[in-house]
Amino acid sequence: MIEEPYRWVEAIANRREYIEDQLRRGSPVVALDFADGLLLLTVSRETRKVFEVYDRVAFAALGHPADIERMRLVAIDLAHIEGFNRAVADVSLRRLVNFGMSPALKTAFEEVFSAPHIVKILLAELGDEPAQDSIVKLDYDGSLARSEIEMKESFDVLAGTADAQKAMLDYLVEQNGNQRRSLEDALKLAAKTWAVGMDTAEHHEGKQDDEPEKREIDPEKVLKEHLKSRHVEAAVLERSRPATKKFRLLDEKEIRAALKDL
Amino acid sequence: MDHPLPIPQFLHDGDFLGVLKAHGYETAPRLAQAAAKFQHEMGKGSIATEGTTVLAVKYKDGVLVAGDRRATAGNLVMYERAEKLINIDERSILAIAGVPAVAFEMARVLEHSFKYFERSQLQEMSTAGKVRSLSKLLKDNLPLTLQGVGMVVPIFATYETEGGKDGGGKVYFYDALGAQFEGVDYSASGSGSLAVRSVLHYLNTWGGKPLGKYNESEIVIAALRVLDTAADSDTATSGYNPKSDIFPIVRVITKEGIREIPDSELSRVYKSEV
Repeated sequence: MIEEPYRWVEAIANRREYIEDQLRRGSPVVALDFADGLLLLTVSRETRKVFEVYDRVAFAALGHPADIERMRLVAIDLAHIEGFNRAVADVSLRRLVNFGMSPALKTAFEEVFSAPHIVKILLAELGDEPAQDSIVKLDYDGSLARSEIEMKESFDVLAGTADAQKAMLDYLVEQNGNQRRSLEDALKLAAKTWAVGMDTAEHHEGKQDDEPEKREIDPEKVLKEHLKSRHVEAAVLERSRPATKKFRLLDEKEIRAALKDL
Repeated sequence: MDHPLPIPQFLHDGDFLGVLKAHGYETAPRLAQAAAKFQHEMGKGSIATEGTTVLAVKYKDGVLVAGDRRATAGNLVMYERAEKLINIDERSILAIAGVPAVAFEMARVLEHSFKYFERSQLQEMSTAGKVRSLSKLLKDNLPLTLQGVGMVVPIFATYETEGGKDGGGKVYFYDALGAQFEGVDYSASGSGSLAVRSVLHYLNTWGGKPLGKYNESEIVIAALRVLDTAADSDTATSGYNPKSDIFPIVRVITKEGIREIPDSELSRVYKSEV
């Protein structure tokens, strides 16, 4: 069937629909700047979703755990080989994504007879200065998902549906006051943004796509409800860390302390 | 006999050297052939640059690691500002005596191997695993060692914090073939090591209190004195060079991590204590 071009297009379209359906209920990811660097946050049930790739690069994803793992290892292998053969400074997010991960995902996506990668990835890189920080999102087909917001902001979100992503970004833009916020404030804001995204994604299910309804969401209530069976997972890239490795996974105590009065 | 069931392998074992080799990284054997040919044609012995004296001593808060700054080739002084201590991770230092060309490459492989393991396997490599990794690299380097052009005899010093436990400072030393030994109180390597070991043995046994009870300022004084002693009899060891103000490199590894003793402090200690 693949010999016929229109069949191929059809196969790709089916594949897209299948993957997007699988991703719909994925737990959103929030990347947010704070006074000392970047914060990545999600809420997960069991498997970890936020990882260290290299000294200044962090990785978070939603999708199938095995596919997340595969792409995580691709990123780690590429970064370490480059860092070893050249220098730590030569491992850049742009090269990692454009010349490594994006082509790998595209190839896997277009091999219509093998299983696709069910995954959406967000990568964050800490620069020497806040202006050099960057956040990149990669879709399951290898395309670099452009942010819905036009401005070059130091935050971004990843969610299973476009609606959820939009709701989260709207919420962030609205709440994004202090750029020099403390880690604690960043954790609070990120957790609430996550709740907005999760609620939108769940609410969307079973509804028609063209339903232009605007709902009021109480992020704190939604978050509390979800935290009964899940836990907040967060990591930071901290500029002030003395070591060359800037990544730190936040421990439960720290997260709980920041979110206790929500 | 064949196993009834094949022994399963880890799908991903976090072995960075394996990844490198799969990408065409060359280890010693090919280089050794080239080196042998070169030596044969030149009709000479080794002309490779070599680093000289390094030492690691356990003290009250962890481990002190020190190295002089001289690199030699035969009877030539090649370089007076060589750095022979290489930080491998937040709490480990590789101190090298031998050929820097090979040693620095080993340090680079190790540094990336530990980082790679931790990131891909989501757990830190154990101290035993780290010690073994270096041993494997030395074994890979055997052909160069036997050619006499790439011998490296390192010391690996680390502070154990595995599983949140405070395991204290640890010192491991190796022979050129890759056998590893744990140094109980101290270890030294390189051309000046005989003098260093002798003095440290004396201090540890009859010096009033064992080295493990020294505080930081006491152990720094002892390290500088012992390097000075080595420089006195070994031409390949430099000690303190007053003419150009070159100091040995001295670092301590404690629970908090690695800290270098600054030249200003070393200068003060030299003036008052050595």
